[in-house]
Amino acid sequence: MAQIGSHKTIIVLDHSPYFAHSSNQLFEYDVLSKIKTPGIIPAAPITKSLWTVCVETVMEYLRVVYDIFPIKKLVRVVTGSEVMNSWAQKDQNVTIVMNNLAVVGPPKEDEVEEYDVVQGLTKAIEVMCQPSDLQHTLRTSLTDEEAYVDNRGRIICLTNLKSDAQIRMLEGCVSDALNEHSSLAEETDNRLPINFCELVLIHVVPVGDVAKVSERAKHEVSPNLMSEVHVSQSGKFLYNKMIQLVMEHYNLASTTVTGIPMKEEQNASSSANYDVELLHPTETHQDLFNSGNAAEGLIVPSKEGLGINTVTLKWCTPKTNTVEIPPCTTAHRITPVDVNSRPSSCLTNFLLSGRAVMLEQPRKTGSKVISHMLASHGGEIFIHTIPVTRSILEDPPSISEGLGGRVTDYRIPDFREFMKENRLAPALPSMISEDRETPLERAKKHLERTSRCWPMVISETIIFNMASHIDPLPRLIVKEKLDEDDVLECKKAIYHVVGMESRNEPLPVTALGSRGKGPKREEQYRQMWSELETLVRLHANTSPLHQMILDCLLECKKPEDSKTSPKKGEKSVHKEEKMEVSEAEKSWKDIERYQKMTEREKQELNKGDYSEESGPTTKRMRSGSEEPLVRSGGGQNLLSLWTNRIKAVHSMQHVQFAGRAEGEGKAAVLYKQLQEKENEAEATDPPAASKR
Amino acid sequence: MPTVVALDVSLSMTRPVTIGDNTEEFQRRHLAIHGINTLLDHFTVNCKLEFTSVVLFSYLWEQLVPFTRDVESIKTALTKLEEYNKTCFESVLAGISTLVVEEWGTATSMQVILITDGNMGVGPGSLKETLKKWKSIQAGEVSDEKCPLPFPFHAKLHVMCIANPNDPALSDVIPLYQQLIDLNNKGGEVYVPEGNLSFSSIQAMFQRLADSCYSPYYGLLRCGNLKCNVTLFPPPERYCKQHEFELVQKSICSTLDICGFLDLHDISSPPTLSRHLVLPAAYKADKLHREEKDETEKSKEEEEDSAADEGKVPSFTVLLHGSLKVEGMVAITKVGEDWFGMLYSWADSKKKSSLMLSLFEPGAEAVTWIGDIKNLAPISDFTENPYGEDDNRTPFPVRPLDKRSYAQSCVVWIKAVGLQADMQKVIRHAKKLPDKQQQFYKELNRIRKAALAFGFHELLDAMGAMLERECTMLPGTAHPDAALQLTHAATKLRSEMSTDPAQLIMPLRTNFTTDTDG
Repeated sequence: MAQIGSHKTIIVLDHSPYFAHSSNQLFEYDVLSKIKTPGIIPAAPITKSLWTVCVETVMEYLRVVYDIFPIKKLVRVVTGSEVMNSWAQKDQNVTIVMNNLAVVGPPKEDEVEEYDVVQGLTKAIEVMCQPSDLQHTLRTSLTDEEAYVDNRGRIICLTNLKSDAQIRMLEGCVSDALNEHSSLAEETDNRLPINFCELVLIHVVPVGDVAKVSERAKHEVSPNLMSEVHVSQSGKFLYNKMIQLVMEHYNLASTTVTGIPMKEEQNASSSANYDVELLHPTETHQDLFNSGNAAEGLIVPSKEGLGINTVTLKWCTPKTNTVEIPPCTTAHRITPVDVNSRPSSCLTNFLLSGRAVMLEQPRKTGSKVISHMLASHGGEIFIHTIPVTRSILEDPPSISEGLGGRVTDYRIPDFREFMKENRLAPALPSMISEDRETPLERAKKHLERTSRCWPMVISETIIFNMASHIDPLPRLIVKEKLDEDDVLECKKAIYHVVGMESRNEPLPVTALGSRGKGPKREEQYRQMWSELETLVRLHANTSPLHQMILDCLLECKKPEDSKTSPKKGEKSVHKEEKMEVSEAEKSWKDIERYQKMTEREKQELNKGDYSEESGPTTKRMRSGSEEPLVRSGGGQNLLSLWTNRIKAVHSMQHVQFAGRAEGEGKAAVLYKQLQEKENEAEATDPPAASKR
Repeated sequence: MPTVVALDVSLSMTRPVTIGDNTEEFQRRHLAIHGINTLLDHFTVNCKLEFTSVVLFSYLWEQLVPFTRDVESIKTALTKLEEYNKTCFESVLAGISTLVVEEWGTATSMQVILITDGNMGVGPGSLKETLKKWKSIQAGEVSDEKCPLPFPFHAKLHVMCIANPNDPALSDVIPLYQQLIDLNNKGGEVYVPEGNLSFSSIQAMFQRLADSCYSPYYGLLRCGNLKCNVTLFPPPERYCKQHEFELVQKSICSTLDICGFLDLHDISSPPTLSRHLVLPAAYKADKLHREEKDETEKSKEEEEDSAADEGKVPSFTVLLHGSLKVEGMVAITKVGEDWFGMLYSWADSKKKSSLMLSLFEPGAEAVTWIGDIKNLAPISDFTENPYGEDDNRTPFPVRPLDKRSYAQSCVVWIKAVGLQADMQKVIRHAKKLPDKQQQFYKELNRIRKAALAFGFHELLDAMGAMLERECTMLPGTAHPDAALQLTHAATKLRSEMSTDPAQLIMPLRTNFTTDTDG
């Protein structure tokens, strides 16, 4: 944060005839002919007027402010009764001010304008009473009657003072104007009274002249007005003064990046090292300045001769693959002191191209300490501060030791997709309106909708492991608005699963990893249906179309239950009374039991499962390979392909035994009446046990 | 928040204390050590990651234990203490200052705990004299000495009095301690035991300190319907800063609400106030919750259960961390009213990675290149995916409307070299007329425009003269149009019209124009 009270600054340029005088600083502008055409005498150097030097240095002041604080730090330029720009953000740039100054033009020596500077100062006070956009917003948002918006400002006036008496006269004028305009402002709605004002008078004399007035430190003129007087010769002296002032006013510091390797203009094969001096907010070096002792040797007088101190940091040639983004405590905009110099523009262009440069603190011990980074974001260059001291975050506890650290089947790939779908982007202007919820609130709602049914681990879910089958239902159901096509797609997905069930296709149950087979398929389908219902039900309230999908799902699910044989029906009724959790528990028990079985038992069970659910199997040769047909689905090889084919051919040659064709299982049921008596007893038994 | 415990080891700390009917004789120092142990035990239970250092002081000072998380090593070190001469705060405070700056820099928040016996000393070096001297330094009356307070880093300063609360000397010394704390101006308190000196009253006093300054943060990390109890280390501090128009004061919420995700390279390296490890904390939070109800044996059972299951129950933080790490993304998280941060996977030098929360400056515009955070919309709101169908675009960074001076061709003629470079550019184009006619006039008008803005009308004449001379130096092979254009430009520059900013100097229409233009 720059200093408080730098929100509004007004620069007053004295347009009196005095400023039409020469600044007395000679200026060479004709260098080309000297080098290339020896016969020609170069044009004589020209001099700038005092006015020109003032305008130029003020433009530099503005350039620094606008580069480092493009918003919230406002500067207006006033000359005479004319104002070059407004407080509005669109007017806060150098171009506007320059264009308007061109219209004003330089003062003329023969003009008689005695009280020009008083006029300018009065105008400045008047302008300060105008609220900025930010102040206006604050004022209108205030609900409390008592509250007021702070209105502070600074007036920088470049003028020529004739005597100490004139200084007192000017201070008096400003003080009077301030009180007068403030009381006027109290009465109107579109003006703000001034709480506090700082007046900076800069007495400018041509180079080599002796000033008649002396500098005065900051002193109080009235309770709401402080004043100070600076004396400066024109030309580069005034420039240095303005840079010093802008640094003081906005709490800036200077950094010199040293050792930037740069190709020579004349000789491209050799490179020399250059330095570039940058300005930025002091916070960037807060740690360095606070620690005091560590800063020795790092802080040297400015190499640009600005009369300020600068922190030297060494350029580190960037590696091509700097993926690691260091944690930064601050990031502040910079501006080069000499913006158009070759080293400066080389550095800035390099950074604007997207590369980042690390800066190293030269240490006597020789250890490498990277303390800052220069990088551009969106066409602006920032200096980032990287902490160099020990971190209290060192050696953090390992994730695997913490809560949930030993779970290995997180749905990370799915969550990555989830994150991508919940990415944010700056809203288009058409998406923002006062009376609607903010885009970020909408983003949170989107997150809420998409996470309503989101099991964290693979073993907790079936439906999210069978994406290829139920797509696009999980993607569509979370949408805020559905259209008819979406509903159709979802219904298709549901029908597809119905189809799967009727074909008795395996479900991707990975609860036991690669080895085991998991709970029985019938069980799996029931679990799957209940999961799917949970998912759809959670969204059913979103819109009537969502409800339609739920209705469809419930319809599809019901017939499945009623279609089952009496034995199954009883079982499912029995189960439905229980809660979902116990259902899962049951399947876990099944799995456990299954694991305890011998290989032989497992095979039988698998065969049993298969035959029971898919109706009668085709008759096949009992002799030969023990491997059932289904097994070959996993690891096919040439032999298995061949034997399967042969088996298939053979099986076609047999005629199915009528009893088996009618029966439900592999074996034809004999003595059916006896079986029916036993049914009740069996129903309570676990199914696996009954098969043994 | 690393802690410096500064223990007074002056002779007066060895004064005996009679505790109740106990015949065994204890010194104040033993009570102090008991107090420190109370604090250390609190760390073991609530903030294992806290760094602590113990400094001993009397007239001189020394660091007994460097900053460590190893509580046991501190306890062991405290059992072997010697006694020295008198209490003196000046050297120890300066010592702590250097110690901390060397170890942690000035950006880390600290807790400094002075443990003393309420004996202010006499003569030079006594607390009274020292404070008097420091005040005159701060007032600028004495300039050859430095005052160690305020510390150059953010630190609360606490004073723990190992003294009977009804000790008459205490009423004089407490205001002096308070002055120390005020000099530091970063908060802190003077603690006095409630009740006569005893192990239990000292323990209670240190427990008060522990409860007020070392209470861990417990909160809920929420991502839509996915939730997880978490704790943050270090606990986030209150934000308090004077801004241009208001004093901004904010505290972090107990719910950390993920709003959406961004790619790491889009958010790049934003400025952050502080960083915090995010650790899943279902167990501890549950425990807290249970403590609120009345704790019974039943809860102990549950504790054992949960301790055993800790690693096996899926935790959202682990899922989030793993995904953020692989995908190189961050989660934009709302941490308070108008206050945001980001969650990301952070790896320390040992290649161990953790889930980290970085807090931005309060306000929705904390990271300029992602724009107003409140204006970040879910991509589902866009008709066209802003990241592109193949994830090959990015809507970031948000570019400001204006270009900065270094990103555009601005005119600076403070130094002669700047002006010379611009003039040379015009001359270079002049030599290549009529091929470079367009560029020639563009540069010419650019310089002219700047000269007018600066009120530098002298330059217009000078430039006119330069172009005229250039015209005389044209080689015989030059295109006839070159001479015509140069003369035209020179004349225009010196004419009345040249000082009118509303006008531009246009190329002279010649018979050759059709051949050369375009």
